[in-house]
Amino acid sequence: MNKLKTLIEDCRSGKVEYQALVDHVPYARFLGIQVISQGDELTFVLPKNDNVVGNPTLPALHGGAVAGFMEQAAIIFILLQMGEPRVPKTIDFTIDYLRAGHFRDTYAECSVTRLGRRIANVHISAWQKNRQEPITIARAHFLLSEDANDS
Amino acid sequence: MTDSSHTFTRLDICNRFLESVRHSKVLGMEVLSAEEYCVRTRLPWREDLVGNPDSGVMHGGAIFAMMDQAGGMAVTCRTFPAFEITPTIDFRLDHLRGPSAGAAVICEASCYRLTNHVAFIRLTSWEEGNEEEPIATGLATYTRLKIDNAGKVVGQ
Repeated sequence: MNKLKTLIEDCRSGKVEYQALVDHVPYARFLGIQVISQGDELTFVLPKNDNVVGNPTLPALHGGAVAGFMEQAAIIFILLQMGEPRVPKTIDFTIDYLRAGHFRDTYAECSVTRLGRRIANVHISAWQKNRQEPITIARAHFLLSEDANDS
Repeated sequence: MTDSSHTFTRLDICNRFLESVRHSKVLGMEVLSAEEYCVRTRLPWREDLVGNPDSGVMHGGAIFAMMDQAGGMAVTCRTFPAFEITPTIDFRLDHLRGPSAGAAVICEASCYRLTNHVAFIRLTSWEEGNEEEPIATGLATYTRLKIDNAGKVVGQ
């Protein structure tokens, strides 16, 4: 039995908190990612913590940590929204840095478009003060498994 | 500071740069070599950096973070002996294949064009011991902030 698939189904049916899926991934725990759901909307949180600081004199968040957070947010988003039973493989990840990431909590939201059966295109936007002023925007493609069922 | 005879090398500066960046230290990355047009870094595999618990493969985000840092060092190697703060403008990473579980990842970054305000970087990563088969290629730009005393970050 696919443990991840069971976990996703339990999350989607409300039996288990979404956070359990995040905590299933070691790298997501390493960054300290949290997920908030409001209705059908998912917001991801990268809580401020010393381990994601880049330049300590500013102090600013490490751009790589923000990118990793956004990539993982997209992966969890695909798992929860598309009924994907396996961790999708990242094909490419492109990020634009728009504003400095200050030492405070960072939020991210995703939107996904499916390209045919196997490819998902995900836009990810991350902000700190308000979502109208993103600090970074990213676009990524992921390879889905054959047996994903959209819903 | 005069730069007629440097008492420090590019590798020294890159190592001091790395020491100053908390997240890169926490990732466990290291600098292998640093020349004017070529920096090599290494990220050892670690259990808490895994992205897929079923396969044990390192997360793309961890590889990205290492490559982003390597790109910054590639700029440092061009501006040497001066040290500048150079935030990333944009970064594209193509994941050509997944690294094996347990394998360290090596990254080579090169700043192939440096203008007054912008640095253009090419990056390639591979599994340690298998340089012929890249796992990821990247293309990035960084901007050169004109900040006085930026050298303080690396003890200049």
